[in-house]
Amino acid sequence: MSVFTDPFDRLMDDLQETARPQREWVDGRGLLLIAGHFLSGVGAGGWAFSSALGFLPGEITSLIVVGLGGLAHLLFLGRPERFWRMVRVRSSWVGRGFVGLNILMAAGVVSLALRATGLGGGGWASAVWGLSLVGAGIVMLYKGNVYAVCRAIPFWNSSLLPVLYVAYALRGGTALLLLFLPWTPLSADHGLIEVLELWIGLSAGVCILFYLTIMANSSVGARRSVEDLLRGRVAAAFYGGVVAVGFVIPVAIGLLNAVTPVSMGVLALVGLASLVGDFYVKYAIAKAGRYLPHVYQAR
Amino acid sequence: MRYGMVIDLKRCFGCYGCQLSCKAEHATPPGVFFARVVKRESGTYPNVRKVFLPLLCMHCETPPCEAVCPTGATSKRPDGIVDIDREVCVGCRYCMQACPYEARYFHAKTRYYFGAQGPTEYEAVGYAKHPTGVVMKCNFCAHRLARGEEPSCVLTCPTHARTFGDLDDPQSAVSRLIKERGGEPLHPELGTGPSVYYLPA
Repeated sequence: MSVFTDPFDRLMDDLQETARPQREWVDGRGLLLIAGHFLSGVGAGGWAFSSALGFLPGEITSLIVVGLGGLAHLLFLGRPERFWRMVRVRSSWVGRGFVGLNILMAAGVVSLALRATGLGGGGWASAVWGLSLVGAGIVMLYKGNVYAVCRAIPFWNSSLLPVLYVAYALRGGTALLLLFLPWTPLSADHGLIEVLELWIGLSAGVCILFYLTIMANSSVGARRSVEDLLRGRVAAAFYGGVVAVGFVIPVAIGLLNAVTPVSMGVLALVGLASLVGDFYVKYAIAKAGRYLPHVYQAR
Repeated sequence: MRYGMVIDLKRCFGCYGCQLSCKAEHATPPGVFFARVVKRESGTYPNVRKVFLPLLCMHCETPPCEAVCPTGATSKRPDGIVDIDREVCVGCRYCMQACPYEARYFHAKTRYYFGAQGPTEYEAVGYAKHPTGVVMKCNFCAHRLARGEEPSCVLTCPTHARTFGDLDDPQSAVSRLIKERGGEPLHPELGTGPSVYYLPA
């Protein structure tokens, strides 16, 4: 694979490929989109768990993280001043995600405000909180679907992807909690949260394994993407970020914790490693995407 | 009325005339090819073949780019042309990921062919009509069609490999070619219903 400093030269090179790699959603400013997907997913998952536990610092942080995710999305757009137009929810998952993100942010802020003013016990407050969870659900669900409906990129065109993204968002939420617990007087069962985080992490790992197995036995474009991921230009991000940091470290610490209870600081490391893994999963999947080949080359 | 095109792969010999005439007609910036020709070698020595595949926007019956557009900037006209409202496009590039034919380009910033030398007179005039931060693509030369002319790539093709017309009219040249020569669209399995058909080589 040639290395180019000029995007124009790189495009010329890409056009010679049988299955051209997609770059718009991962390279250059595309990283903002990956960051946006990561932050909004983690924030939505964090909100769901924090609000269920009544963990105020986590709730506030989650909303800030979701807001940062929205900002990253906004900075990625070619014409950010037109963001308000993205409300076509009939068939566009990006439109649905945008609406979901706004529901989560608005309902989340109102929910916190109601509690701050002592009005958090009524039916209205419960309804607003429920609405915020609906928003969080949409935010967790939409990202995988954004990719999955792209039949032009066979590697993304899988119904497993939304499941994977929801799993990673939930895992991100628990990871965010683990990151916070050492510095807060939350009377939650830390062990339970850690077990939950590991369980979701293992589920996500199994999901990735299924996903890659299916894709490796799928169409030419999908197989090229799997090759990129396992042996090619995305291998370092996959093995380093997704497998080593995002999977091996949390599982190793979790197993250690089962034998000898570890400190809260070490559990926070599990959270941090999981978050890094979460980011790299999104990066690697986006980076490995290749368009459907139009002419098949004999090998 | 549904505009469509038939490309005879037996006649195309990869001269890039369509690609160049399209760039000249639309004054597209560097790296943007509304019409392009993909060349591939297939087979193994001594049984090798070179394939030329001209590509452009397929103006699908069910355009995936339109479905995914969060702003409604991409829409299908009554004459079958899939067009982009550049005043509505937000530049999210979702349509680029959804298009199986890689027919869309994002115009991030204005670049010139001669770099630091700045724009030529042609570029200064031509690129002014392309706003930055939005997606652009082939529109079957809608401005030429409005004048009763054929798209630029059709007019330029030296071997007459391209035929343009109304797919809804069974007597049109495109409909007859598709029927008589067994025209097939690219990636029919996707169910997008392209308006560009290829006659086998």
